[in-house]
Amino acid sequence: MGIDLAQFHEAFFEESFEALESMEASLLKLDVGAPDPEVINTVFRVAHSIKGGAGMFNFSDIASFTHTCETLLDGVRAGRTRLTTAVMDLLLKSVDVMREMLRAAQRKESFDPQKVADLQFDLEVAVAKNDVAAAPALAASAPAAPPSAAQAAAAAPAAEAPLPEWQISVKPLENMLSRGNEPLALFAALAEHGELAVTASVEEVPPLAKIDPHRCYVHWMLSLKSTASEQQIAEAFEWVEGDCDYRITPAAPAQAAPPKGPTAAPAAEPPSPPAPAAEAAAARPAAKADAAAPAANAGDAGSIRVSVGKIDELINTVGEVVITQSMLAQLCALVEGPSAEQLRSGLAQLERNVRELHESVMRVRMLPIGFAFSRFPRLVRDVAQRLGKQIDLKLTGEQTELDKTVLERIGDPLVHLVRNSIDHGIEMPEERVAAGKPAAGTVHLEAFHRGSAIIIEVSDDGRGLDCDRILAKARSRGLVGPSETPGEEAIFELIFLPGFSTAEQTTDLSGRGVGMDVVRRNIKSLGGKIDIRSARGRGSRFTISLPLTLAIVDGQSVCVGCETYIVPLVSIVESLQIKAGGVNRLSNAGEVISFRGDYLPLLRLHELFGVEPRSRAIHEGLVVVVEGDGQRVGLFVDDLRGQQQVVIKSLETNYGHVPGISGATILGDGAVALILDVPGLIRSTSRRVAA
Amino acid sequence: MSTGSDKSSAATIGPTAAIKPDAVLRLPPQCTIRDAAQLLGQLLLHIEHSSPVYIDAAQVERVDTATLQLLVAFLHDRKVEQRAVVWLDCSDALLRAARALGLSRDLALAPAG
Repeated sequence: MGIDLAQFHEAFFEESFEALESMEASLLKLDVGAPDPEVINTVFRVAHSIKGGAGMFNFSDIASFTHTCETLLDGVRAGRTRLTTAVMDLLLKSVDVMREMLRAAQRKESFDPQKVADLQFDLEVAVAKNDVAAAPALAASAPAAPPSAAQAAAAAPAAEAPLPEWQISVKPLENMLSRGNEPLALFAALAEHGELAVTASVEEVPPLAKIDPHRCYVHWMLSLKSTASEQQIAEAFEWVEGDCDYRITPAAPAQAAPPKGPTAAPAAEPPSPPAPAAEAAAARPAAKADAAAPAANAGDAGSIRVSVGKIDELINTVGEVVITQSMLAQLCALVEGPSAEQLRSGLAQLERNVRELHESVMRVRMLPIGFAFSRFPRLVRDVAQRLGKQIDLKLTGEQTELDKTVLERIGDPLVHLVRNSIDHGIEMPEERVAAGKPAAGTVHLEAFHRGSAIIIEVSDDGRGLDCDRILAKARSRGLVGPSETPGEEAIFELIFLPGFSTAEQTTDLSGRGVGMDVVRRNIKSLGGKIDIRSARGRGSRFTISLPLTLAIVDGQSVCVGCETYIVPLVSIVESLQIKAGGVNRLSNAGEVISFRGDYLPLLRLHELFGVEPRSRAIHEGLVVVVEGDGQRVGLFVDDLRGQQQVVIKSLETNYGHVPGISGATILGDGAVALILDVPGLIRSTSRRVAA
Repeated sequence: MSTGSDKSSAATIGPTAAIKPDAVLRLPPQCTIRDAAQLLGQLLLHIEHSSPVYIDAAQVERVDTATLQLLVAFLHDRKVEQRAVVWLDCSDALLRAARALGLSRDLALAPAG
C-alpha cells in the first residue's frame, strides 16, 4: 500500500520548468570574472530543489544528472571551481538537458541516455579538473574539510559582530508531505544561508493507531544566524508555498539591541527544550552575500496554482453571464409599470458588476510579457556566440501584461524577429567599428500598452533593411515588374511574402525564407498586425500590435436586413450618413466615398454576405468607417444598434473558416451574430481593387 | 554506513544476543512516504509487544519526515506503556535526517548527556 505520487507529477513538472527558467536567468546574470555568491546560491538552490523533487517522484535519471550539476555548482560556490566561460556553457547546456529530460518524463517518453551521459561526463571532468587545479591555491587560505560551526564562527571575519539571527516558525499544512514537499529539503535550503538550529515540536503527533502516515504533525522552530535578508530567507519557502505556514521574525537581541558577544545564546523562543549543539544542522560557513546585494524577486505575494482549464471554465461562465445579462436588458426594455424603473436600475447595477467581474476574471489570465522575454538573454548569447557578433540585449516593459494564450503564441514570432535582427541586422564588430558604431550591437525588446492593445517592438541598431537588395530579389522572382518602382513601405512589405529571403547563404538560424511570412501569419491569427520601419545603416524596428485578450471583444452591433453583425469597436473610426450622390464609382476600384478629404473604398455588407438589405440607397443607410492593416474602408449597413461586449465563439472550431468573419457570438435574444474580421475585409477589398 | 559503535550517534545499542527475530523491526534502505503506510502497519504489529522491540536501521539509505514521524509516534506510544525500544543499529543517513529535523531526542538518538 502506498500513496500515488503520480497525481502530483504535473505540479512538479510545472514548478521545475519555472525553476529552470529562473536558474537560466540567474546563470546569465553571473559575471564570469567575479560571480556574485548570492546568485550562485540561487542557482544551486534551484538545482537542489529539482533534484529533491525528481528523487521524490522516482525520476532517478533526472535526480542523478541534477546531482552532478549541483556538485559542479557547489564547487563554484565553495571557490574550488573557477567559473569560466566553458563552465558557464556546461551549466547552460545542463539547463537545456534537464528541461528536455523533464519534458520527456512529462510525456512519458524516453530520453537519449547518451546525450545525458556525455554531458554528465563533461560535468564530472569539469568538477575533477577544477578541483585539482584549485586545490593548491586554496590550501593556504581554506581548510580542506568544511569547517565546523565553531570553526566558522571563530575564523569568520565577522566574528567580532555576531551574525543577525532569525527565528522561523514552520507549521506544515495537511498536504505538505503528500505533495512531495519535504521539510528536510527546506531546512537544507535554509542552512545554505548560515547556521541553522532546528527544534522540533512533536506534541501534536497523535498515537500511532490514529496517525495518518502521509500527514505532517511535527512543527518546528528554527533559529538561523545569517546575513541573508528576510526576503532571501523567504525564497526558500517558495517551493512549499501553500503547503506550510511559516513566520520569519528577527530575533530581537541580535537585530535591535547593541551587539552581544560572539557566544550569545539564541533567543529562548521555542516552548520545547533548546536545541542541543549536536542538533544543529550541518554548519556551513556563513553566507557571504553582501548585505547590499540587490534583493532577488521583489514583492512576492502569496499565490495559488490553478489550472488554466479551470480559469477558462470560469471565463466561459462569465461569458454566459454577459449574454444572460444582455438578454435581461433586452427583456427589461419591454417591461412597463411601476416596478420597471427599479428593475432597470437593478439591471444597470448588474451590468456594472458583470463588467467588473469580467475584468477581474480576465486579469487572472493576464501574465507579464516578461515570461516571453525571459528566453531571450540565453538565445541572444548563444546566437551571438555562434555568429561571432557582440550583442547587448535591452529588455523593457517586462511587467506589461497580456492574455496567457496571446503570450504563449507570440513567443515564436518574437524568436524569429530577434534571430533575424542578430543574423541579418547587426553587423560584425569590425564592420560596425568601421561605420563609426560601437562594436557591440543593441537589440531592444520593448512592450507597452496602447489603448486596448499591447505593442511589442523589436528594434536593432544594425544595418537596416536593404531596399535595393529586396527589390532586386523581388524582381528576379517576378514579384515586382521591371518598370515598377514601389515605395519604401511597399518594399518592406515584400519580405512578408512566402518564400522570400535575401540571405545569400541559408543558415539554420534564419534566412530560410520561411520566417517572416510565418511571423505575420501567426500575429494575424492573434488578431494583431506587424509593421516595419527601417533606416539604411541605422537599424530596423518591427512593431507588433496585439489585442490584450482573445475571449471577449467590445463590439458595435450593426444590422443589415434581418441579420446582425458585430464590428469590433477598436476598428471603428467613425459612423456617418452619406448624402444621396455621395458615392463615386471608379472604373477599376468599385465604389468610393469622400471622407475627410480622402477617398475610401465602400463595401456594401449586403452584397458581401448575400443578404437582402432594408434599402440599397446610400442616404437611407449608414456608413461605418473602419480601419485595419493601416487602411480604411467604409462599410455600408442599414442601421447601428447598441454597443456591447460580446463573447467570441470560434466559428472555425464549430463550423469552418468564413472569409471576412473572425467569429460568432450569441446575442441577448439568443440570436447568433457574426463578428467581422475588419483586416480580412480590407484585404479582400484591396484584392478586388488590384484585380 | 555507520554502525552502532559510531560515537556521534549515541544510539541506544542493546545486547545482540538472545533477541527473538520477531522482536526486530528491520527498516528497508528506502524509508519514504511512498511506503509510510506499510511501515505504519509494521509498527502497529510491534506496538503491543511486551518485550523490547529492536529497531535495525543499518540498511537505511534514504529516510524522510513521514518515516521519522512514525518512529517518533511509535517510540512515544511504547514509552507511555513503559515498553522498551532499542536501536540495534542506525545508518548515518537516518542519524543525519533525525538531526536535521531536530528529532534526535524524540527518537532517543541524541548523544548521551
